[in-house]
Amino acid sequence: MEALKNALDFSDFPRLDLVIASAVGILFVCFPLFPHSAFSMATMIQFFIFSLYGMGWNTIGGYGGQVDLGKAQYVGIGAYTTAVMLIRWDIPFWFSMPIGVILSVTWSFIIGYPLFRLRGHYFAIATIATSLVLKDLFEVWDFVGAARGLEISPIKYAPPDFLRLIFREDIYYYYVIFCFFLIGILYMNWFRKSRLGFQLRAIKDNEDVAQSLGINVHWAKIKTYAIATAFVSVVGSFHACYIKNIEPEDTMSLNLSILIALMAMLGGAGSLWGPIIGAGVLIPLKSYLKEWLGASAGLVGIDLILYAIIIMIISAAEPRGIWGLVEKVRRRKLN
Amino acid sequence: MDILFSSLAAGVLFGMTLGLVALGLTIIFGVMDIINFAHGEFLMIGMYTGLLTAQATGVDPLFTLPVAAVVGFLLGVACYMGFIKYLLRGPMIAQLLGTFGLMLFLRNLALLIFGANDRAVHYGILVGKSFDIGMGIIIPATKLATAGLSLVAFAAVWLLMNRTKIGKALTATALNPQGARYMGIPTERMNALAWGIGGASVTIAGALIVNFWSVNPYIGLLFTMLAFAIVALGGFGSVPGAFFAGIVVGLITEIPGFWDFMTYTFDVDWMADVPMTSFKYMWVYVAYFVIMVVRPRGLFGWKH
Repeated sequence: MEALKNALDFSDFPRLDLVIASAVGILFVCFPLFPHSAFSMATMIQFFIFSLYGMGWNTIGGYGGQVDLGKAQYVGIGAYTTAVMLIRWDIPFWFSMPIGVILSVTWSFIIGYPLFRLRGHYFAIATIATSLVLKDLFEVWDFVGAARGLEISPIKYAPPDFLRLIFREDIYYYYVIFCFFLIGILYMNWFRKSRLGFQLRAIKDNEDVAQSLGINVHWAKIKTYAIATAFVSVVGSFHACYIKNIEPEDTMSLNLSILIALMAMLGGAGSLWGPIIGAGVLIPLKSYLKEWLGASAGLVGIDLILYAIIIMIISAAEPRGIWGLVEKVRRRKLN
Repeated sequence: MDILFSSLAAGVLFGMTLGLVALGLTIIFGVMDIINFAHGEFLMIGMYTGLLTAQATGVDPLFTLPVAAVVGFLLGVACYMGFIKYLLRGPMIAQLLGTFGLMLFLRNLALLIFGANDRAVHYGILVGKSFDIGMGIIIPATKLATAGLSLVAFAAVWLLMNRTKIGKALTATALNPQGARYMGIPTERMNALAWGIGGASVTIAGALIVNFWSVNPYIGLLFTMLAFAIVALGGFGSVPGAFFAGIVVGLITEIPGFWDFMTYTFDVDWMADVPMTSFKYMWVYVAYFVIMVVRPRGLFGWKH
């Protein structure tokens, strides 16, 4: 009960933030009711998916300051668990998703235990290695379809199938992921005020001092890593049902890992709204740049060039992200 | 036996080239503690430079190295002056993602200019020739020349770092930038120089590799990861470390060859069924992970 009350308590934010957040929330609820193109619908779903990835990353990377560039492997584990179970044994989403989370979290403990002996750069690049090993294994493992990947054929089921999460119209997926999104925000709101949340911020500021204050640094990091993993794995399972065609290349690649970290950094790591703002800016930008410049103009790669320039400018000019900019303006107004 | 020796030879030769690829990364990391994701893209640019210079002027691809070195040096300095300098003020996460942005930028620029097709060198005094030195070892002439030139480049960089004033200034900047500034060392210029040397050494490696490896805009990432593994193994910031770790990683990439050797020697059925060639680079990543966890400093590392 206490936890729920904490999760619903947003009173430490300025009133302006809450007004904007609820206005945007209402807009999200109403969005499918307005006339919209299939493309904008797909972009919105991608936005929710990536803001959830970003929130998961934000626990360990934002609050904890441990730069993790291997989150994609858990997307892969979640997605593959759901897809394999559905295709081979016809186990519905709501049962395979928790199993995927259990598998991911187990794996995160196995590699997290040695990983968190490292700090800083060393940690960041070691996480890349684990992700690449797993991807290489999945690319040759026949049971999960090797490099071809797996395909869930919707013909076998009768959509709308709420148990297996197989729908013909995107609007169902929209509301399912929107529910996950709301739960994610409430969880993060609880997390940032929880004991673990405070411990992590202490670790981020100064690990040695945190240790000397009696925080079990290693265990706190591993626990948070598992939480981040669970987040990402759930959304990975959803991704499998939504995309219906998963390959190692687009569920486990380094690009995805970095994109996840980018969402949070761009919006402002270590804040509740950061990953959501980051995904809200980056995902539409990415898909519309591709739509307008990539395919139609016949210039291959120009959309990604612009996208890369934007990343470079932001990381050089405002490394604390959009939320950092907002806070800077606010502080200036106060003084 | 034949397979064993030829795998060993191929591993050592390829490893010497890989060491040169990683050399630039280790210098840059040693001097300013920044991980450059765009490293493989520098290599790709070096490969294109070698290929296009050879095609445009008609000289042998092996003699395009000076052009590649100049291009790499200018590219490195330009990247530092125009971008990395501003990145260094931010936190680590911004540095990592910033160089990732640089990587995306260079890769897609190459895609826009050169297209996605594979390109390869088809002529040249060494292309297609090989030496048979007995015991079943056949060494392609391009790989031998590449390994030899990489040895020369290593020696040059080692001398520069250890026997000249500039090298001492670079080391001082690496150990304590503020202290170095007090001693009158222009640290800003030293950083730019480190990027220049790093860029030049990797584009030279690229111009060498293009002799036996076809090039496309996506080739960078594989080499970035191999270079990370070598730098982790050899120790961040260590020049001799990069050389020896390069050879180790080269041998690791030949594990499928050793596996075949074991399969034939001991005649084990199940061993023949393992698709070992698909795991070629996986062992590198496994070794890299184990080294990072067991000894983060690497074998020769002096920074912590």
